[in-house]
Amino acid sequence: MSSIAIAVVVLTLLALIFGLILGYASIKFKVEGNPIIDQVEALLPQTQCGQCGYPGCRPYAEAIANGDNINKCPPGGTATMEKLAGLMGVDPEPLNEVAQEAVKKVAYIREDECIGCTKCIQACPVDAILGAGKLMHTVIAKDCTGCDLCVEPCPVDCIDMIPVEQNLKNWDWKLASIPVTVVEDRTVTIRMKQEDKAVKEDSQC
Amino acid sequence: MLTLLEQIDKGTLWHSPGGIHPPQLKSLSNQSAAKRLTPAGQYRVPLPQVGDCARLSIKVGEQVKQGQQLTDGEGFMYLPVHSPVSGHVIDISLQSSNHASGLPTLTCIIEADGLNQTIDYQESALVELSNQQILDKIKQAGIAGMGGATFPSHIKLNPASEIDLVIINGVECEPYITSDDVLMRENALEIFKGIQIINQLLTPQRIVVAIEDNKPEATLAMQQCLARFDDLTSIVKITVIPTKYPSGGEKQLIQIITGREVPTGSIPAQQGVVVHNVGTAYAIQDAVLHGKPLIERLVTLTGEQVTQPGNYWIAIGTSVEYALQQVGFNADRNQKVIIGGPMMGYALPDYDVPVLKGTNCILTPSANEIAPDVEEKACIRCGECAVVCPALLLPQQLFWHAKAEEYDKAASFNLKDCIECGCCSFVCPSDIPLVEYYRVAKSALKNEAEEKQQAEQAKIRFEARLKRLEDEKLAREEKSRLAAEKRKAAANASSNKNTVAEAMARVAAKKLAAEQESKQDKPATDKSAAVKAAIERAKAKKLANQSTISNTPDENASTDNLPAVNDKKAQIAAAVARAKAKKLAQNKATLSENDTASAQNEPVDDKKAKIAAAVARAKAKKLAQKQAESASDMDAANSQVLSSEDQFSQEQAPQVQAQSEIGTGTDSDVSEPLDDKKAKIAAAVARAKAKKLAQKQAESAADMDIQSSPVQSSQEQSSQGQAPQVHTEIGTGTESDVSKPLDDKKAKIAAAVARAKAKKLAQKAAESENKTDVESDDRINADALISPAQTETSALPVTPSNVSEPVDDKKARIAAAVAKAKAKKLANKQKLSEKE
Repeated sequence: MSSIAIAVVVLTLLALIFGLILGYASIKFKVEGNPIIDQVEALLPQTQCGQCGYPGCRPYAEAIANGDNINKCPPGGTATMEKLAGLMGVDPEPLNEVAQEAVKKVAYIREDECIGCTKCIQACPVDAILGAGKLMHTVIAKDCTGCDLCVEPCPVDCIDMIPVEQNLKNWDWKLASIPVTVVEDRTVTIRMKQEDKAVKEDSQC
Repeated sequence: MLTLLEQIDKGTLWHSPGGIHPPQLKSLSNQSAAKRLTPAGQYRVPLPQVGDCARLSIKVGEQVKQGQQLTDGEGFMYLPVHSPVSGHVIDISLQSSNHASGLPTLTCIIEADGLNQTIDYQESALVELSNQQILDKIKQAGIAGMGGATFPSHIKLNPASEIDLVIINGVECEPYITSDDVLMRENALEIFKGIQIINQLLTPQRIVVAIEDNKPEATLAMQQCLARFDDLTSIVKITVIPTKYPSGGEKQLIQIITGREVPTGSIPAQQGVVVHNVGTAYAIQDAVLHGKPLIERLVTLTGEQVTQPGNYWIAIGTSVEYALQQVGFNADRNQKVIIGGPMMGYALPDYDVPVLKGTNCILTPSANEIAPDVEEKACIRCGECAVVCPALLLPQQLFWHAKAEEYDKAASFNLKDCIECGCCSFVCPSDIPLVEYYRVAKSALKNEAEEKQQAEQAKIRFEARLKRLEDEKLAREEKSRLAAEKRKAAANASSNKNTVAEAMARVAAKKLAAEQESKQDKPATDKSAAVKAAIERAKAKKLANQSTISNTPDENASTDNLPAVNDKKAQIAAAVARAKAKKLAQNKATLSENDTASAQNEPVDDKKAKIAAAVARAKAKKLAQKQAESASDMDAANSQVLSSEDQFSQEQAPQVQAQSEIGTGTDSDVSEPLDDKKAKIAAAVARAKAKKLAQKQAESAADMDIQSSPVQSSQEQSSQGQAPQVHTEIGTGTESDVSKPLDDKKAKIAAAVARAKAKKLAQKAAESENKTDVESDDRINADALISPAQTETSALPVTPSNVSEPVDDKKARIAAAVAKAKAKKLANKQKLSEKE
């Protein structure tokens, strides 16, 4: 009988001690905010384009953390969606936008036609348009995220979205992979094989 | 235990992992001495060749001398580009580049004129030059690593850390290439002069010239030459290393000479070692001692498809196609032209590209020299590639992930340490082009990293923008709060006193005017008119007091509007009184005299005016009775008018003001014979102005107070005083029109935009005008405030519709301006409603 009493007392004490520890820990190590939001935001492309329906990438990250769909980011494309699926532990979903393939674009202002209305400057989420009232505007190409937001407000339609051209710096070595159809020529093939053998022999000696 | 230097002196060599022994095939090109090609007629120099950006210092059509600098620049990696020939610049445009992609790059095309004019090459002795001068000369000569990587040499010659060991790379491990071999055989003296300069700059403890054992002639020539340099014999050591590919790689060579491995992510200079190519040493002495920039280099033209293989001094910018034609090139079917060696080189998609600083070999293999592209088979996990990898990577794992496009996993297998030597592809039994996969994966990782950096940058900019907008908003709010407080304080202090005083002043002024009028009419009626005026004055005072007192507590919903509304009511009350006084005075006049007397006063005397006057008179009488009955009724009426004004403040208030201004405008019309056009313009300008004012008023009710007072004061002004004002308004209107350069493109576009808007808005405006006209007429009738002259003006608002018709150009422009103002107003309204 006493053993049961001892067990009850001991377990109660233990429960109290652990409860105190847990209570203390919950105050001491309290996590401010939701860390998953930062992780989601790190995956988003930060174009701040608002195509997801949220005003910027951070609000969409918050929405994802609260259970919104992960397929609302056209600039990020399928790659971002898959990463988000991995992070959030949900099944990948096809992008709900038509823009499946995300071609990086940069805004370009046809400067002859610009009337200097500053509307695009106000629309740009990353302050990548330079200009002043009644003066020509221009895009700082390296800071442009290609979000499209400046195209709509332009009253004279002088903004184009130009795909980023491939140059020697960003070439991805995929250009040379043009499929070549080899017309079968027996004599040449046989000669090639013989020569191939000869080269291999040459390399051995 | 021997120190590293002792071991180097002893000739100890270490083993570098991996590597292969491909067929050398160097004898094709190293049997003959270096030759020169017949100069080409045209040269294409890419700008810039090294570094990201540069400034052009030449123009199309300009004459250039050989060795003349074509670009300026400041970047860390920047190197100047020089003209390889004397001639003139015929074009600067995008031309296909000497690159595996063949993508177009900015190229300066120079046509040789055969005059062989050169810039003044300044010879100088090494002892006269300081280290900084030497470095400047090397930089200005545009010297980049001649082994193929084209890293700017002056950076490597000015390292941050102490350099113990300099390795001069004469290994040349790639098959086919013999340019360094031939250079060492023929120009050993110049190479050692270059080594002297390197020695002076870096002051290392040892300089090792590394040469593979398949170049005995070069080794001999170098050893013989070294004996002639007394100062170098104690420092420089010529080391022969066993032939193995890729011993010539920078990190591999360091491992062979010192036994130390260069850690991943660091550069050899951090280990106290610097590696320079023999070709670089040659170019350095040319630049420092002879002042010659890097405009030509020794290139191996080899392969079975050229009839005269060998090494040739080729000016940078010469077309590869031209160079090959000079040595008897006959292209095969599916001919490949490879820049560099067969292991690490790249095939050109287009032969007509220039030779660059790093182009050490142009290889034209026949079909039996290079295995044809065979179909890639599945990886059998044999592990051969891992055995031969000089960087000790796991090529099969890299391939696995690269093929699956899991580039981050490939990166975790240290993909970035791959030197793309091609050993793994060479030994692969499944003919997998492994290096191709690695290159794609590497560029994808590079682009990904860049995108990530851009995203971070965008995020920072976005957040900065949000903060800026927030700050601006707070500042605006603070400003408006302070302004409101100020206004409130001012209004509280003076509202009651001021309104009463103002009303009194106004009534006094009216009385004076009436007196004058009655004096003019008939001095006999003066007294009775004065008595009437006095009675009215008293009434007005009473009314003003009542309205201010009674309305303050109950009528106003928002406390912000309080002083303003009070003020307005008082004004209206005063206006009522004023009008009555006027009318009474007039009545007196008309009664005592004939109806024709008024015709003398006003030239626009017609039947309508008379009838209107009669009606007004009757109404005034009625109203006077009513007023006598109860003043509070009048208050209620006033408040009604006020509330309706508040409701339609956007539309009605401007109309009221516009009317008043038009009224004054036509007053001046009457007093001064202005022509019709001007009056119309004045009306239009006045309307636009009134709109603007009204807009401001609508934005904040508190502003009403301030805005209404100038309008009021303008009402109080005499008609003669008003006339010049109208004139100036016209003046400014036309001036602004003139000052706009109409032929300017921008102005045209703006006009076009405005016109489009104007068309849309013209209809709306006309509608609203009609509406407000009716409304204002109603109100006027109800209050019976209007004098005959004013009823006349109430017919005037029709004129703006005339103005808006684009009858002539000027009018149209003015109409456009008016429409623009309207459009702005409407836009603002929409915005407001959207916000709400």
